[in-house]
This record gives sequence, structure tokens and C-alpha cells, in this order.
Amino acid sequence: MKLEAWFGTLDLCEDGKVLASDLFSKNVRELALRSLSLREPGKGIPPAGFELRSAALACGFVESPEEYDFLLHEVTLEAAKLQVSGAITPDQRIILAVEALDDINETVNVLSERLSEWYGGYFPESGLSGEALALFVAKYGSRKNVDPENPLSAKAADSMGAELETLDEALIKGFATSVCSLYDRRKQIEAYIESSMENIAPNLSLLAGPMLGARLISIAGSLKKLAAFPSSTIQVIGANKALFKHLRSRAPSPKHGIIYSHPMINTAPWWQRGKISRAVAAKLALAARMDLYSGEKVPSLAEKLDAKVQQIRAMNPEPPQKKQGDGMKSKPKGKKKRRQ
Amino acid sequence: MPEISTLSEGIFEITRGKKQLATRNLDPGTTVYGEKLFSVEGSEYRTWDPRRSKLGAMVLKKFKIPLKRDSKVLYLGAASGTTVSHVSDIVSDGAVYAVEFSPRTMRDLIGLAARRRNVYPILADAGKPGTYAHLVEPVDVVFQDVAQPNQAEIAARNAARYLKSDGHLLLAIKARSIDTAANPKQVFRDEVKKLEQAFEPKFEILNARDLKPYHEDHLGVLAKLKE
Ligand SMILES: C[S@@+](CC[C@H](N)C(=O)[O-])C[C@H]1O[C@@H](n2cnc3c(N)ncnc32)[C@H](O)[C@@H]1O
Repeated sequence: MKLEAWFGTLDLCEDGKVLASDLFSKNVRELALRSLSLREPGKGIPPAGFELRSAALACGFVESPEEYDFLLHEVTLEAAKLQVSGAITPDQRIILAVEALDDINETVNVLSERLSEWYGGYFPESGLSGEALALFVAKYGSRKNVDPENPLSAKAADSMGAELETLDEALIKGFATSVCSLYDRRKQIEAYIESSMENIAPNLSLLAGPMLGARLISIAGSLKKLAAFPSSTIQVIGANKALFKHLRSRAPSPKHGIIYSHPMINTAPWWQRGKISRAVAAKLALAARMDLYSGEKVPSLAEKLDAKVQQIRAMNPEPPQKKQGDGMKSKPKGKKKRRQ
Repeated sequence: MPEISTLSEGIFEITRGKKQLATRNLDPGTTVYGEKLFSVEGSEYRTWDPRRSKLGAMVLKKFKIPLKRDSKVLYLGAASGTTVSHVSDIVSDGAVYAVEFSPRTMRDLIGLAARRRNVYPILADAGKPGTYAHLVEPVDVVFQDVAQPNQAEIAARNAARYLKSDGHLLLAIKARSIDTAANPKQVFRDEVKKLEQAFEPKFEILNARDLKPYHEDHLGVLAKLKE
């Protein structure tokens, strides 16, 4: 009888004695990889109660029980490490990046506001905010240092802001530099998400845009789960408050799913949005499945979606007549602007 | 100076004001889950929180713990290694084959195993005992705390393959994993009956009692193979 042990293939006779053996080298990594390959039980599973340790000693793989313990310990550790590192699939790496991006967004917003308030006392006329302000402050510090080429130099010269003293200037400049580096980090993460999405979900990326696509995967939990959702679910993904926790910063209105941030939907007039969002959701569901099963980019998907949306626009040029009590009271009446 | 007394091989009670369960630290200087360290007569002990560990609760509920210094243990549902670390302390010259199927949790367990020579981490489904047959030798104790609906069956299948004929099975049965609505007492009776009759091998129950107040709706079971 042949059987597979972590240290080699053994040939046993009836009474369990090892007749012959094909042993492996004592290389931990090789043994670990081999151990992983034996997880799928096929032929050669040792019988119940098989004494692996005595077999390893009997066939001379190890010289002592201590050596057996030591090697097996190394091998199981290495195998577990390999398995765990393989357990972060590309879509999970994207999810981790999306979560990191949300955290950075939240931080960067808070810090940018702080900078704005802080620097506002010294140069209230700058009109800058966000990254532009952070870059400005990091570069010049006091408005006195603004060089003449800068479009803000005239405003800086006759600003009614307070003088910035040396110590405060150092502090605020350093703060602004940190904010700038967070903005850089954010771009880096966004670029990472875009390129990873192009690799693992090219169709979703094409139809939804890489960021919205990544967020859909993130909320669903994996590409596989997203691909299993019907399009009606995709349409409302993210509408649930509980699901919203990692969308804290750039969250669209919670009464719609996050696909409402899709440009085809959020630029459409209100009466077309429901129909367009159904069409988009249907194609996104298809795109997710294609990405999961084939991974090939199918440009015709985008063309079909375009055609479908054109058709919806053409067929619904006007807002529907207000029916009595149909719940549209809050919508602006007579908004007859037609989409070209 | 805290006082120390032995409750069972490798399991101690430290008295220092109040009484606390403890094991002798195999990895001196390191705590695993925030437990306290004590030095007594040149050895370091780690307190063992029965509320964090069903095995710890079983000790306090007067189960006879069949672990010795050189025991080999197959531990199913190792999680991040809270209880595994104490078993590793107890069987200092033995082995703990620690099976866990969640990769996330396994990451913590790997950290623990890297520091403890007698802990062998295995990322696998305890419901498929054949998938680690090339690694695991016959053991003296199968310990199971997987908190799954088919926990009794998982225990039996692993015992069939790995438990020595004179070995013991220690089980934590969680009532809610099996049937969320049913009365826990009824669930416990059914599970014990299954162990006695439903599977091959059959077990003889040596002790079964609930783990209150340390764990709600949990039953501890000590069993051995029926001859
Ligand atoms: C209640 S926790 C165990 C706690 C641990 N015994 C302790 O006291 O530190 C249950 C663990 O079993 C794991 N588990 C559940 N089903 C499993 C299976 N079929 N195979 C392996 N592990 C499983 C879970 O991932 C979880 O980590």
C-alpha cells in the first residue's frame, strides 16, 4: 500500500512495516509546498491511526523524535504562512485599498478644514481651499513670501490678514506639508485602485469607472459576491446605512444606491434616473460576471449600455404628468428642460 | 509572594488575594491575550481566564483534564490561540496540532506558533479530517471548540482517525450553533446522545455539564472511546 506523508511517499506491507520510501529533502519550503499539495485527499491518505512519527524514524527521514518535532513545526508554520498570504486575493487587496482611501479622505478633509481656519486669519483673501491651499502654505508660509509671478501676489500684498510670526509660520508650514503628503498618498491609492481594477475587473471598470466599481466590490465583500447579486440588488448597494460605514466621506445621498454617483445617472433629469439606473445596474451585473468568469474586456458591453441609455432619453424626453397623490410633490414642477 | 498549588498536571491555582487559574509559561515574558504573568520560585506563570476559554471553565467545573506533560493533542477550532496557548503550556513536551479554517484568524495563530515549538498550525476544515492526515499523528486528546452545527459529528470523525484507543475527547458544545430556537438543555441531551450512539466510533461520556457562569449556553463534555 502506498501512502503520502508530509516527508515522503511510503510503501507499506500488510503489517504496517515500511517496505520502501521515497523521501524528500529536508528543505522546509519544498516540504511546505508539498504538504499544501496533499490537502486534496486523493489516493494515499494514511489509514486511521497511522504512526507518522515512527514511520519517519523507521525509514530514516529523521534521526530523533526531536528532529521530527522541529522539522514538522517549521513545515506547518511555513505552509500556514503560504496559505494565509495567498488568502488575500486581488479583489481583497482592492477592498483594503478602498478602505484606506476612505480613511485618508476623512482625515484629509478634517485637516484641510483645520488649515483653512488656521491660515484664514493670516490671509483671508486667498480664496484657496483643499489641496491648493495646502500647497500654497507649504510653499510660501507667510503671504509676504509670495513671489510676484503668483496670481495671488497682489492680494497677498494688501491682505488685511494678521502678521505671521516666525514660530507660527514654521508650525503652520509643517502642518500644510503633512496635508500635502496625505493628498499625494490619496493619489497613489487611487492610481493603485485604477490599475488593479483594470486588471481584475476590466468590464466593471469600463462601465462603472474604476472607483465606483471598486466601491461596489468593497461593499459586496468580493468580486464573486458582487457577481452573484441580481441587478436589483446592485441598484441599491450602499443605500443601506449600515453598509455605508466605509463610504463616510464621499457618500452620495443614502436613499439611493452608490450607483447613483454614476455620471449617466447623476447627470440625467430626475424622471429618467430610475430607468437609467436599472439599465446601468443590469449591465454592471453582467460586467461583474464577465470579469469573474472570463476576465476578458468586452467593449460591446459599453456600447450596448450607451445605446440603451440613448433610447431611454429619447423615449422619455418630458417629465411625466403629475398624477394626483403620486408622491412627487417635492419635485420641481414644470422643469421642462430637455436633454439633448 | 503568591502561593501556588497544582490542580492537575500542568494546571495550577495561584493564590494572591484571590484565587486564579494559571499555567506555567512556555514562552516566558510574553503574554498572549492580556493575561497576567507571575513569577513564583523561579518559574513564570500565566493566569488563565475561564471566561475566555472553555477548557479553563471545564477545569473550574471539576472536569478531570486528561492532559499530561507529554500529551499529544489535536485541537479543532484553534482560533487565535487563547486556549491553545494554555494547552501548549500544559503539554510542554508534547504537541498541539491546531486546526483552524479562517485565514484571518490563522494569522494570529501563526504568530503564536512561531514562538511555541509545540504548536503546529494547520489551516484546514476540521470537517474534512483527511486533508491533514499527512501531518497529524495519533493523539491522546482531541479537543474541539468549533461552534458549528455539526460539531458532534466533526468530533467523532476526527476521533475515529486520530484518537488513540485509550485517548480522550474534550468538547465544548455551543447550544446556539445547533438550533437557535430550541431549549439548550434539549440540545445538549441530543448532542450527548449522538456521541453515544450516532457515529462510528461510539463514545462513553465520562462527564457532561454546562459551563455557567463562565460561558452561557455551553456544555462541556469529556468522553472516551467505547470498547
Ligand atoms: C469558539 S471559537 C474557538 C475559540 C478557541 N477554542 C479558544 O478558546 O481560544 C471557534 C473557532 O472555530 C473555527 N472553526 C469553525 N468551524 C471550523 C471548521 N470546520 N474547521 C476548523 N475551524 C473551524 C472558527 O473559525 C473559530 O475560530
